[in-house]
Amino acid sequence: MKFTFSWLTQYIDPGLTPAQVADRLTMAGLEVDSVEELFATFDNVRVAKVLGVERHPDADKLTVCRVEVGTEEKQIVCGAPNVRAGLTTAVALPGAKLPSGLVIKKAKLRGVESQGMLCSAREIGLGEEAGGIMELPDSLASGAPLAEALGLRDTVIEVDLTPNRADCASVLGIAREVGGFTGRKMASPVAETDLPVLDGTNVPFGVEVEDPVACPRYAARLLTGITIGPSPWWLRRQLLAVGVRPINNVVDVTNFVMLEYGQPLHAFDFDRLAGQRIVVRTPRPGEGIATLDGQERTLEPEMLLICDAEKPVAVAGVMGGANSEVGPATTRVLLESAFFNPVSVRRTARTLKMSTEASYRFERGVDPQGTVKALERAARLLVEIAGATPVPGGIDRKAEIPEPPLLTLRVARTNDLLGTVYTRKEIAAALNAIEIAAEEKDAGTLMVRPPSFRVDLEREVDLIEEVARLKGYNTIPTTLPLVPMRFPAQDRQRELHRELARLFVSLGFSEAINYSFVAAQHCDLLGLAADDAARAFVRLLNPLAEEQSVLRTTLLPGLLENVRHNLNHESPDIRLFEIGKSFFSRGEASLPEERLRLTAVASGRRHPGAPRLHAGEAAVDLYDLKGVVEQVLAMLRVEVRLEAEALARSYAAPGSSMRLTGNGRELGSFGRLAPEMGRGFGIKQEVYFLDLDLDGLGALAPAPKGFRSLPKFPAVKWDAAFLVPENVGGGDLIAAIREANEPLVEEAELFDVYRGKSIEAGWKSVAIAVTYRAADRTLDDRAVGKVHQRLSDMIIDRFQAKLREG
Amino acid sequence: MEEEILRLKAEALAALAALGEAGELETFRVKYLGRKGQLTGLMRMLGQAAAEERPRLGKLANDVRQELETAFEAKSQELAARAGGAGGPREDLTLPGRLVPFGRLHPVTQVMEEVCGVFAGLGFAVAEGPDVEMDYYNFEALNIPPHHPARDMHDTFYINETLLLRTHTSPMQVRTMEREKPPLRMIAPGKVYRCDSDITHTPMFHQVEGFLVDRKVSFADLKGVLTTFIARMFGEGGAVRFRPSFFPFTEPSAEVDIACVICGGKGCRVCKETGWLEILGAGMIDPEVFKAVGYDPEEVSGFAFGLGIERIAMLKYGITDIRLFYENDLRFLAQF
Repeated sequence: MKFTFSWLTQYIDPGLTPAQVADRLTMAGLEVDSVEELFATFDNVRVAKVLGVERHPDADKLTVCRVEVGTEEKQIVCGAPNVRAGLTTAVALPGAKLPSGLVIKKAKLRGVESQGMLCSAREIGLGEEAGGIMELPDSLASGAPLAEALGLRDTVIEVDLTPNRADCASVLGIAREVGGFTGRKMASPVAETDLPVLDGTNVPFGVEVEDPVACPRYAARLLTGITIGPSPWWLRRQLLAVGVRPINNVVDVTNFVMLEYGQPLHAFDFDRLAGQRIVVRTPRPGEGIATLDGQERTLEPEMLLICDAEKPVAVAGVMGGANSEVGPATTRVLLESAFFNPVSVRRTARTLKMSTEASYRFERGVDPQGTVKALERAARLLVEIAGATPVPGGIDRKAEIPEPPLLTLRVARTNDLLGTVYTRKEIAAALNAIEIAAEEKDAGTLMVRPPSFRVDLEREVDLIEEVARLKGYNTIPTTLPLVPMRFPAQDRQRELHRELARLFVSLGFSEAINYSFVAAQHCDLLGLAADDAARAFVRLLNPLAEEQSVLRTTLLPGLLENVRHNLNHESPDIRLFEIGKSFFSRGEASLPEERLRLTAVASGRRHPGAPRLHAGEAAVDLYDLKGVVEQVLAMLRVEVRLEAEALARSYAAPGSSMRLTGNGRELGSFGRLAPEMGRGFGIKQEVYFLDLDLDGLGALAPAPKGFRSLPKFPAVKWDAAFLVPENVGGGDLIAAIREANEPLVEEAELFDVYRGKSIEAGWKSVAIAVTYRAADRTLDDRAVGKVHQRLSDMIIDRFQAKLREG
Repeated sequence: MEEEILRLKAEALAALAALGEAGELETFRVKYLGRKGQLTGLMRMLGQAAAEERPRLGKLANDVRQELETAFEAKSQELAARAGGAGGPREDLTLPGRLVPFGRLHPVTQVMEEVCGVFAGLGFAVAEGPDVEMDYYNFEALNIPPHHPARDMHDTFYINETLLLRTHTSPMQVRTMEREKPPLRMIAPGKVYRCDSDITHTPMFHQVEGFLVDRKVSFADLKGVLTTFIARMFGEGGAVRFRPSFFPFTEPSAEVDIACVICGGKGCRVCKETGWLEILGAGMIDPEVFKAVGYDPEEVSGFAFGLGIERIAMLKYGITDIRLFYENDLRFLAQF
């Protein structure tokens, strides 16, 4: 809601500067979005007198003018047809910034210097006329700043209205609020006692309301003898300042009164209404309407229309129709002022995807008792500026309009809820300041009947808010609640995520956050099968873009897009992780399954950002990811199996991925991304991924922490190297040693795998260190030797291995 | 015996002081400190001393050994330094350390943790709710019936007639109150969604919702808790103001501003020349919400508040474009 300070002061003298008013409004809950000085950049636009005009030597349509600007004389090239000696007009001198953004500079036009520009009304934002330069009264002194000479200085204040304050979508509503915090009285242009009687007798038109639920009130008056023309300057100026385009005197008056009273009005060309009748009804089958904006509108059965005897002439509360539009030839106007059902208007506006100044107000609720007041104001203005003669009387169809409820406001309740100690008197005074009548019922209670324009005041608590607002939130004390001490139970899953996030950060991964919605094509890019569970998408009805149309079932594509982004921005060494939800549809009726995952990607150098001097160029590999997984499992202290995937997942390079299983289900995977999948995401370097099901992992019981006494006797470490065929896994040897359950074996570590010189092709050497220890004695070589031999024989036998000599 | 030890000490120290070259160090070490050196020789002879003397002499000899070793070490370093590292190549202390860099938590997570931490310290429990919500929890139970103009404040992503992406974390108020009885103190962090995308809006962002419900909780209490939070988060002593606003699920409703952290309240581009920055929405929980969860609004009262994490992160770190949060550019992430 925009208004000018000069407009506001027509109804109330706030005794404050515009900036002070703006600040007070904000603190009263009418948040001021902007305070803009009108014509603030107009210092270099001045009144000028044309002294002489000569033809431009080089251009037929241009003239070279001598112009008096105060004591100076300027040479200005002009193209306007109406430029002539003796004309008083407006000149923009170098440095002037025009509303279009144009900054005036000295220039040469076809070889002739021009020291400024003579301006049309449109060029300086004072009107629509663009056919020639402004013609100003000769009485204005040349050289005077135009804004001052024309009294243009003003301030536009824009309030960001909350949906509950329909009453303040009007300058009078704002004035009432200003009265509330200044304690001053406002004067409205039409007094209650001035209202005409609209009883429908002897009027040459009819109004029928077929749907009184959607249209509880419809008032109309007829005005004749109208001369359509431009509005006077004061009216155009106010409309322009608040961003409403002046059209003609009749339309401008309806707009002005809407802004003034908050009551949308509509003017029909009475001679274009068939049957001289208004029928308020829903559409007949097949009916449509062309609205004033030139659009053909398809109508739905529940939309409320204003019709004449034959056809729709307006969409009720939204926009008028082209077929009854007021035009240059109009002489008789039927003025409409109505109260439409907010929900009905909102539905219609939504369905038609139209939001107009009128629908905005009707949706939020206009004053059902203000209908005739606004009508009267508009009629008077039309008499004043358009030569109209009102036909006496009019029609005011009124259905049952419920009176605002009588509310009980308890002083104790008010103070309890606010933490204040207001007296009954203070409360009543605060409400009275904005025309809310509050009567004393007993010592602790007020009876309040909200005024009809405050459709938002329905309950006691609404009044309590008014009291708080009017007294000022900053006058309410600041206290801390007295609540019983209680330990807030923390969500274990959430704590687990936080611990894991910290672990990943310490392992060099940075945290990414991607949108929950992604492109459905991600599944194709990952090569997932048509029946893959990850395709059980939850789809958005109204996505912003196709790439954001489904909720993600996997976090990997988002991270791969991050990898591409970073590669494209000179960050080739990448470690990223994300903890977030994946969503799986469970059908239309139920909430989807939301599963929390931790997904990570690594690419480029092993330790991004580590000094090359020490870390070299070594690239990340599968064992880095395996190590991360092992660290996660060690931290979680859970029993999870890692197994090579017999059938590689579609997006993993064959033979380079493993899955995690526990509790009989898959809990995650890691591996190397298949290069062709990477290319699908625009990535040309190796990428490794890791993906964990945090809900699944969190459901596993962690191994309890318990103390075992530290060993008292020394350990003995014996090495052995075996030659095994390539198809034997080095880790299998270690597993076999562990499975042997030799009581003296404390640990077995694989410390070298070697191929090449002195090793037969197809074979490799696997070196193992076994740590032996007894709890009760120092082991001697004989005891160790016996076990070591047993293990060695077992490996040779089980893996067709040979002991490597030397 | 004691004399001999002290004499040896004096002699050794003098000899050490006289040493001029690193090459002579070894000779010195062998002569005095080595396994067959003079001090070792003396110590071996301690056994012949009177038994009651032995502990004292032993300690003396040990002290002398330690002193000589320290002096020897110092001399070695001195000579090595003088010879320009003749004892091996000098360490180049200007080289970079062998660091294994850690990653960073996303700035949104960092701010979220900080916010949750303050409220956890005030005894609030932390809980998260579903991102896909029912219209009922997101709107209706929060006093936003269908076709209410307040729905315009939320550009909602719908999934179907009844399901949507939550537009705020407030549904957690309803879900929690349906399940539990007052007193309640809870915050609910999470992702929220609105179909809006430009330099100041992303279609997904993060909020923290908080609420406190008990008997006789007042607007003054709301002011107290939020003022405490702001002081923890933005520093003590900054100006705070509460101004009336509108949310369908609170009454009275408030927006909370702090003095602009960029200009200190003088007025700048960030605060649109007002000197104030809006950081919180809050209010007393509306009686309709209590009725929806089966609480008696005459019996209990409470307040709720919500704040946008990205906005706070932007203010805290001076980030100018909200979209940066979701590009996951390592050069961005590494700054926090």
